[in-house]
Amino acid sequence: MNDLADAAAAPVAGVEGRATKIKVRDVNFYYNRFHAIKGISMDVPEKQVTAIIGPSGCGKSTLLRMFNRIYAIYPKLEATGEIVLDGENILDPGYSMNRLRSKVGMVFQKPVPFPMTIFENVAYGIRHHEKLSKADMAIRVEQALRSAALWDEVKDKLKQNALGLSGGQQQRLCIARAIALKPEVLLLDEPTSALDPIATSRIEQLVAELKSEYTIVIVTHNMQQAARCSDLTAFMYLGELIESDQTEKIFTKPGKKQTEDYITGRFG
Amino acid sequence: MSAASIYMRRRLTNVLAMILSACATALGLLFLVWILLVTARNGLSAFHVSLFTKITAYADQGGLSNAIVGSLIMDLMALMICAPIGVLAGVYLAEYASRTRLGTTIRFLNDILLSAPSIVMGLFVYVIIVLPMSHLTNGGISFSGFAGSVALALIGLPVIVRTTDEMLHLVPGTLREAALSLGVPKWKLTVQILIRAASSGILTGVLLALARLAGETAPLLFTAFGNNFMTVHPLDEMASLPIAIYQYTNDPSPALHSIAWAGALLITIFVLTLSLITRFLFSRKKVTYE
Repeated sequence: MNDLADAAAAPVAGVEGRATKIKVRDVNFYYNRFHAIKGISMDVPEKQVTAIIGPSGCGKSTLLRMFNRIYAIYPKLEATGEIVLDGENILDPGYSMNRLRSKVGMVFQKPVPFPMTIFENVAYGIRHHEKLSKADMAIRVEQALRSAALWDEVKDKLKQNALGLSGGQQQRLCIARAIALKPEVLLLDEPTSALDPIATSRIEQLVAELKSEYTIVIVTHNMQQAARCSDLTAFMYLGELIESDQTEKIFTKPGKKQTEDYITGRFG
Repeated sequence: MSAASIYMRRRLTNVLAMILSACATALGLLFLVWILLVTARNGLSAFHVSLFTKITAYADQGGLSNAIVGSLIMDLMALMICAPIGVLAGVYLAEYASRTRLGTTIRFLNDILLSAPSIVMGLFVYVIIVLPMSHLTNGGISFSGFAGSVALALIGLPVIVRTTDEMLHLVPGTLREAALSLGVPKWKLTVQILIRAASSGILTGVLLALARLAGETAPLLFTAFGNNFMTVHPLDEMASLPIAIYQYTNDPSPALHSIAWAGALLITIFVLTLSLITRFLFSRKKVTYE
């Protein structure tokens, strides 16, 4: 399976010296009859930040949502091709959803804390996958909240309802909730589009810190954000991957004219 | 036409429309306040301790204690029947059959049940519960508080199904995705997160249903029948406030009329309190998700 995937890897640019965490090979996606993703292949390097940019409706969120198969909860959606995570195709119906979701965490556009306490928000997912003693759970929750740079702000109100936090804090709580499961990949779907500039810059800092431990894929409509916090940038347009390369290269001398037009603001 | 005259004409239309809608609102409120005032004035004059201590068997010397107890028992039993079924059906509609043809059909049928005449519910329960139970006993028609509460439950059920369904639709889809992206299975998501997120709305629906069935008379006529004595046994004929009011207003005695007014005031206060609680619960809900 891997040989086959490698053979098709010709158009793929990666970051040198980095192992590939996710190999996307000739992936297509259909919403009912609408062909939303058209034959995309790309590599996502391990422990790096990969940004997916492109105008609204280009399929960037759709592509991200294939990485943990969250689309599968809706009827009439269909994906073809291969998304190989650590040598196994996750689009294979036999791939355990439970395993996939514990390996690949996701944070959404709007912060959506569960209607429970701050502590329980983080503990909830862990409890489903592992049996921990009360003390171990407290440690895990603290670790997750520290990694999400939220611990100092909430350590005295862990028993309060999470819905009382500010939008930026809620989003960091959602990141804590995702990394509490110790995933290997973290998917961020426009994580700052609902936040103010200060909360946004905190999340971006956090992304920079988290990449030492996690492989991060971030979808953003904000080009500056992609330029600031990613190592690799993929530009999508009308369901196709126009090019993917090192962020610096994409933003200084892109290989394709469409990319250049988008980046210089000629359309989008 | 000059710009100034167009502007004046629009302002005039605006003022006219505002006056008309304000009048319509005032008219509606006028009747509500009028009803409340008349009920309060007539009801308060008959308010007396004996209302709560004496049974209807004493007629104009009596009170409504058996009717109050009967109403409470039947309303609560009805709620115990229709709340669990209604909430579960609402969850099924919103979470498992949301966009299916079956779900649409059930929702449509539920709306029919919602607007069905309440006397039909009474007759239906008379045929499926009261008559069969009579055959089991000595052949006398066995009206019962239980049959009354089943009829009332049929009134409350569609209200609860509808509100539960709607409240769950208000929970943002991203909350479902967020939980599922943690690998949590759907039943856990539904029970532990969605129902909790919609809890105040669902509770509001249950209380609205209670308010609705507390004032119903027609479903009780052929089911609970009425009783001039105190009983708490669910298989006995049972008194209730609406039936007592209905009977007393048909009586020539003015003393019974004023007891009926007091009963009407009691129901009004009960329903008003429920409405206030639901308002409070629902206003609290709005801070959660925008």
